[in-house]
Amino acid sequence: MVEDDPADARLVQRAFQKVNHGLKLLRLKDGDEAVSYLAGDPPFDNRLLYPMPEMVLLDIKLPRRSGLEVLEWLRRRTGPLRRLPVVMLTSSRHSVDVNRAYELGANSYLAKPDTASGLEELARSFQQYWTRFNQPPSL
Amino acid sequence: MAVQSIPLPNPSHLHSERIFRKLIDSVTDYAIFVLDPTGHIVTWNPGAERMKGYHADEIIGRHFSIFYPPADLEWNKPAYELKVAAETGRFEDENWRVRKDGSRFWANVVITRLLDDEGRMVGFGKITRDLSERREAEQRYRLLIEQVTDYAIFSLDPGGIVRSWNTGAERIKGYKAEEIIGQHFSRFYTDEDRAKGLPAQMLARATRDGHAETEGWRVRKNGARFWSLVVITAMRDEEGNLTGFSKVTRDITDRKQLLDQVRQHAHELELRVAERDKTNAELEAFSYSVSHDLRAPLRAISGFTAALQEDYGDKLDETGRDYLDQVLQASARMNQLVTDLLNYSRLTRADMELQPIAVAAAVKAALAELDADAQHVKLAIDKRHAVVGHEATLVQVLFNLIGNALKFHEPGKQPRVTVTSERNDGTIAVRVRDEGIGIAPQHQERIFKVFERLHGQEAYPGTGIGLAIVKRGIERMGGSVRVQSDLGQGSTFTLELPAVDGAD
Repeated sequence: MVEDDPADARLVQRAFQKVNHGLKLLRLKDGDEAVSYLAGDPPFDNRLLYPMPEMVLLDIKLPRRSGLEVLEWLRRRTGPLRRLPVVMLTSSRHSVDVNRAYELGANSYLAKPDTASGLEELARSFQQYWTRFNQPPSL
Repeated sequence: MAVQSIPLPNPSHLHSERIFRKLIDSVTDYAIFVLDPTGHIVTWNPGAERMKGYHADEIIGRHFSIFYPPADLEWNKPAYELKVAAETGRFEDENWRVRKDGSRFWANVVITRLLDDEGRMVGFGKITRDLSERREAEQRYRLLIEQVTDYAIFSLDPGGIVRSWNTGAERIKGYKAEEIIGQHFSRFYTDEDRAKGLPAQMLARATRDGHAETEGWRVRKNGARFWSLVVITAMRDEEGNLTGFSKVTRDITDRKQLLDQVRQHAHELELRVAERDKTNAELEAFSYSVSHDLRAPLRAISGFTAALQEDYGDKLDETGRDYLDQVLQASARMNQLVTDLLNYSRLTRADMELQPIAVAAAVKAALAELDADAQHVKLAIDKRHAVVGHEATLVQVLFNLIGNALKFHEPGKQPRVTVTSERNDGTIAVRVRDEGIGIAPQHQERIFKVFERLHGQEAYPGTGIGLAIVKRGIERMGGSVRVQSDLGQGSTFTLELPAVDGAD
C-alpha cells in the first residue's frame, strides 16, 4: 500500500486486519519510495526482507511522485513487473483522475469510503475478489 | 486607315446619276453634299437642309466655311480640312458647327476626297451628323461622374497613367485634377504594396478578368492612409482592344475601423474566456484539494471514533458512548457539507453536455439512491416523457427534491410523496408533491439560496445547499423550478425542462 496519510494507512490496515486471513499489507509513504521498492533499489534490495508484492494499493496524491506517475513507471517496465496488478485507492472521485488511471493501466479504481464501516465493507469485498476469484499473473 | 475614295468620271456625270441622287435625297438624318475642289457647295440634300437650315437654292455655290464658327475661321480650319482630305483621302472631325440661324450644334464631319478614273481630284464628299443629343448625354454623364463626391472615379490609360479625375477622387485622394492627370496611378499605393508590384498585378487582373476588386490601404496626397474598396474595370473598344481602365475607389476607413473594433472586442472576449477557463481550472484544482485534503482528516476522525466505539465501547459508560455518537454525527454532517459544496461549485462551472433523458429512468435512479425511504414515494410518470438535460445533474436534482419531500414532515407521521410528469407546450413538467409541513410564502424565495435553512439541525438536519443545487442544476440545463406551498399544506416543487421532440 502506497499511502502518505498515516491515519488513512492505519484505518485501512485495521479494516484489512478485521476481515482478512493471511493477507499482509506493507505500507510505503510516497511515490519515490514505491518505485525504489518495486525496482529493488537500496534499501529495498533484499527481497527476503522486502518481498515482491502480489499487488499494489496506490493512492494518487502522494509526495514526490504521484500515484499516476508510479503507475506510468510500472507499466513502462519491460519485465514481468509491468503486469503487477494495481488498484487505485484514493479520495479523489474526479473523472479526470479515474480516466487517467485506467488509461495508464490501473486494474481497478476504488474511492476511499467516508466511514469506518464503509472501509470494512471495502476490505471484505477486496479480499474476496482479489484473493478468492481473481487469477493473478506470474511475476 | 483605308483611304475611302470614290472614283467618278466628272462632276456633271454625278448629276445624271438618278438613282444615286434619289438615295441621297431620301436621307434626312445626315447632311450629304458635294464640294468642288475649292470647297464650294455643289449639291444639297434634305438632311442637309433640315440640319443646317439652308434651302438648296440659297446654299449651292456658297463656300462651305459658312458652317464654321468664327474661332475656326480665324485659323482657316475649313481650308486645313480640305488639305488633309486632299492629301490623305479623308478627314474626320467632331466639333461645333453653325446653323443658318446662327445656333450651334455638335457635329461629326467626314470629308472624303473624290477622284476621277484618271486619279484626278474632282471634289469632296461631305457627310455631317448632328451629335448634339449624344453629346448632351455624354455631358450629363460626365457631370454626373465629376460631381460624385463619395466615390473616386477616374480613368487610366492602358499603361496606368491617370486620364480623368472626379470631385470624389479629389476629395478622397487629395489631388486636384491638374496635379494628377498624367501621373501613374501607383502613387496611390503604399510603399509596401508598390514593392510587391500590386499596382501592375491589379491592371493585369483587370485585363485578364474584365475587372479586379480589392480592399486595402491607399495613400492620400498628404501621406495619410485610408482603407479603400477598389474596383478596376478594363475598358475596350468595339474591336476588343484595351483602351484603358476605369477605377472606382471608396474610402471605407470608417467601416474598416468599426470592423476592427468588432474584431478587437471579439479578441478581448476570447481572452476573457481563456482567463475564465484558467480561473475555472484553478477552481477545479482548489476543489480537488478541498475534496482530498478536507476529507482526509474527516475520515480519520470518523474512522478512529468508530474504532474507539467498536474496540473500547464496553469500557465507556452511556454518556461516553453518546459523546462518540456526537463526534460521528458531526463528522458525517461535515462530510455531507463538503460533498454538497463540491457538487454545487461543480454545477456552476463544469461543462454540461445535454442529451435526451427519460424522466422515468432519472426518477428511478434518484429513488435507488434514497434506498429504504423510496417506498413512501408514488409515481405517475408517462414513460414516453423525455427531456433534454444532463443525466447526473437531473438525478441529483430529483434526489434532493424527493429527499426533502420525504424529510420535511411532522414527526411521527408517515411521509407521502408523489412524483408526476406532464407535457406542456415544448416542455415537460415534473412535480414532486408532499403532504409535509409546507413552507410559508415569505420563505419561498430564500430556500433556493445557498446555506439558507428554515429549521434547526435537530428538527431537520441538512446543509442548506440542497435546493441551491436544484435551482442551479435546473437552470444550467435550460429549465426552471418553482414551488407552491403554504404552512401545513404540503409543498409542490415543479421542474420544467425542454421536452425531447416526439415525446408527448
